[in-house]
Amino acid sequence: MPVRCEQVRELLPEYVDLGPRPAGEVERHLASCSSCGAELAGYQRLLNSLEDLRAVELEPAPEFLDRTLEAVRQANEPGRVLSLADFRVARQRLAQAVRSPRAGYAVASITGAAVGATAIALLWWRLARRAVSHGAL
Amino acid sequence: MVSRDLVASAKAGDQAAFEEVVRETHRRVYSLAYRLVGDRAEAEDVAQEAYLRMFRGLASFREEARFETWMYRIVANCAVSALRRRGRFGDIVSDEELEVPTPEQPEQRSADSDELSRALAMLPEGQRVVVILKDVYGLSCREIGDELGVGEGAVKVRLHRARKRLADILTGGSDRAGEV
Repeated sequence: MPVRCEQVRELLPEYVDLGPRPAGEVERHLASCSSCGAELAGYQRLLNSLEDLRAVELEPAPEFLDRTLEAVRQANEPGRVLSLADFRVARQRLAQAVRSPRAGYAVASITGAAVGATAIALLWWRLARRAVSHGAL
Repeated sequence: MVSRDLVASAKAGDQAAFEEVVRETHRRVYSLAYRLVGDRAEAEDVAQEAYLRMFRGLASFREEARFETWMYRIVANCAVSALRRRGRFGDIVSDEELEVPTPEQPEQRSADSDELSRALAMLPEGQRVVVILKDVYGLSCREIGDELGVGEGAVKVRLHRARKRLADILTGGSDRAGEV
């Protein structure tokens, strides 16, 4: 049974990087259907463009290289405890944790508990003072 | 391409050789990190972390393998960890539309790569990572699956969807890009 355009087009994203294959239904369809053939050519161009993108190198910040070399040197020092990168990652994780909703709830809970504890302590202190002053009388 | 001799010297513990490897590759490593995480500062952190892992793990590098592939796998692993820490990577197997970062524009150089980078930035994280590692950096589906902690089949599904979506975006069907 001949394959339909929709069936062939569904296969094209994978088909595009398969090597030479024995002629089958898909190949026969592609040879006779200019529309599907054009779509396959489009995927081939896309893959070529993606491959070319690797050669486009992006420029990091000017200090990045020196900072990285320094981190590598520190990593090589005997007795080293933490590298610059370790500190940066730790700082980043802390910042992310602080920004997360869970951290917000935790901070709110701790603040609430601290306020409550302070109020109880103050109340207790005032009652204790009153008891002492009554005792003195 | 990093020479085999330089890699061998670095592997033998020559600190200067490893520093030379960093000098030769830092733009490539940063570029991959940036394409995966979409943020300059985070890409630098990822790249730096990757170099430290390379430095510590160089002894286990098999010289018959391609150094660049090994290097890209480490960068990918660090980038995916960073994305997961941010909670942006989501479930690699599901195909939910996740928050997608918009890369900062001055990074790009040519009109074609601009257009392609913008299209890549419109993909969900899981698809973007797979298509970048496979079609831009040449890693195999199996290698990508190992780094992401998923099977080869899941990577192929992602790749299929990513290519289809990219083609849609580039041919003006970006309004369809959000469909699952």
